[in-house]
Amino acid sequence: MSPTGAAPGRVQSRRTLRRLLSARNVVVAAATALALLLPLFGSNFFVEFVMTRTMILGIAAATIVFLAAYGGMVSLAQYLLAGVAGFMVGNAVVAQDAWSKGLKLGWNPWVAVLFALAVTTAVAFVLGALASRTTGIYFLMITLTYAVIGYYVFGSITPLSGFGGITGIDPPGLFEDHPQRMYLALVVLSVLVYVAFRVLAVTPFGLALQGIRDDPVRMASLGFNVSLHRTLAFTLAGFTAGLAGVFNVWWNGQIDPTSISIGPTLDLLIVAVIGGTLSLEGAWLGAFVFVAANNYLRNLPLVDHIGITEARFNTIVGVLVLLIMILSPDGLAGIIDRIRLGLRRLVQLSRGSGAGPAEAAAGSAP
Amino acid sequence: MNTDAATAASAERSGSLLNLEAVVVAFGGLQALGGVDLKVWKGDRLALLGPNGAGKTTLFNVIAGDIKPTSGRVIIKGIDCTELPARFRPRLGVARTYQKTRLFRGLTVEDNLYLAQTGRSGRHLALLRSGVDAEFRERARAMAETVWLADVVGVTAGDLSHGQQRQLEIGMALVTGPEFVMLDEPASGLSRGERERLVQLLLSLDADITLLLIEHDMDVALRAAQRVMVMNEGETVASGTPDEIRVDPLVHSIYLGSEAGLGGADP
Ligand SMILES: Nc1ncnc2c1ncn2[C@@H]1O[C@H](COP(=O)(O)OP(=O)(O)O)[C@@H](O)[C@H]1O
Ligand SMILES: [Mg+2]
Repeated sequence: MSPTGAAPGRVQSRRTLRRLLSARNVVVAAATALALLLPLFGSNFFVEFVMTRTMILGIAAATIVFLAAYGGMVSLAQYLLAGVAGFMVGNAVVAQDAWSKGLKLGWNPWVAVLFALAVTTAVAFVLGALASRTTGIYFLMITLTYAVIGYYVFGSITPLSGFGGITGIDPPGLFEDHPQRMYLALVVLSVLVYVAFRVLAVTPFGLALQGIRDDPVRMASLGFNVSLHRTLAFTLAGFTAGLAGVFNVWWNGQIDPTSISIGPTLDLLIVAVIGGTLSLEGAWLGAFVFVAANNYLRNLPLVDHIGITEARFNTIVGVLVLLIMILSPDGLAGIIDRIRLGLRRLVQLSRGSGAGPAEAAAGSAP
Repeated sequence: MNTDAATAASAERSGSLLNLEAVVVAFGGLQALGGVDLKVWKGDRLALLGPNGAGKTTLFNVIAGDIKPTSGRVIIKGIDCTELPARFRPRLGVARTYQKTRLFRGLTVEDNLYLAQTGRSGRHLALLRSGVDAEFRERARAMAETVWLADVVGVTAGDLSHGQQRQLEIGMALVTGPEFVMLDEPASGLSRGERERLVQLLLSLDADITLLLIEHDMDVALRAAQRVMVMNEGETVASGTPDEIRVDPLVHSIYLGSEAGLGGADP
């Protein structure tokens, strides 16, 4: 590559460094630092409620974004898979003598986590394999069917879901009575998930997944097993949704079939749409906007005056989502991208000349 | 089992790389292929001519496994592939391009050419990069140069010009190191100069590589091929050397004639 032939290694590493220091990465790193320092200055409510919920929903929504952006599959089953993990944790950890319902296996909470993740991953594999031959609207409909069926399955198998749900699910000692620790753990997990998904995109597996997103017919004729690939991607996303589900149930302390019904399923899709289904960062951004809107918009003094009830509030959220989708099909992340591009163009105009073309080419990747 | 093995052996011995036996493809009531027989030998350079709708692309789709024939058999290297899905073809050394480009539009030129190689290798499930990948990358960049895309290796395929996309389409077939290449109208959308380069590229292919070429540009087709088969309405209507085809009156009336406006009125 390098025509001079001088120290290609150093050139390579400098290029790698420059790539790592892209505007996108710097912003993400700054946001991470802010999130980690938040307990030092944020209110307890903000940290333990708003931001903890944001991280949980962000991880779950990131699995939707991962499948959509890299695999071209919009999945409505991610909240169900998080719920599967939650139910498994609930059944495994609640002790035999507890007042609660469920299987009451009384296991060590960490063993319960492994068990829950194993079950969730296996379920995701099976569901993924069944859906892997479909794309587009059909994939969306199949996964919607999963979500609906999942709700009824847990609702009807009462030994697993304990009629009104499983209550009194305690997180492990590490997090019990330490909500700030749980928050920090979720920030770290969010970073891990985010980095893992982005690194995955440039592995042979991730590239093949994007190839399948762009043209499954071509991929098959090049020798790829398209449905196996889709299945494995769905399984990975399911495992990750399971991680979110474990924290969700620890945070809630309980789980019941209604909590995985169509409402929360659509909420998660809304989170992904607000953030932008093609941008990983957007998952957390969308989660924050959604949780903040849910917590703060309700308490506006004005709201009582114009008589906004729960149902009407949902209407407002719906209208907001519609507006975002019309203004920017790729969500808030898309709006931010466009503002950035616009600013850069302004700067270029004021300088009177075009800047490097390399910059314009970058940043188009999901 | 025994007879299968015997057929396989004899096909191998006679060197027949591809053997189509009475291939019929019907789309509902429309018969796109009406019992096509075709033998292709190793190292053959065969051009498929015929007007639009003659069934040429359908024939490619059958050979590549993208569609299953309604009846008939597809035998590649002595192996009956009629029922095998498309993804097993690359292991037999088969590669193809598409008339309507099928690229990974969200990936760069280099990634397109890289991916084209990993499918056959079984590396595509890997989560880590290895030495093999470096080799694939190297070959991807070399192929980009071969198809005149060296200065756009980092550009997203969807952002390429139409001509460049056609070139990438060819590169993706050639980079797999195929023994048998099928090109579906590779010259369409190329400028005169680009067509000339394409002919040179096709002529420079390794003599071992078998080439099946659909091409509307007679000049390209007749220069790149040693053998020509003419199709019309799903049937083979003529075959021979380029020189024979050039002067074949039937070919003139159904194909060249219609294109050059020499067809005249119906009898
Ligand atoms: N998938 C399909 N479904 C229905 N009809 C098809 C399909 N593919 C091709 N055909 C029809 O089959 C005939 C042959 O098409 P094709 O093989 O594309 O011709 P050519 O490549 O020679 O121009 C045409 O009449 C075309 O309309
Ligand atoms: Mg055609």
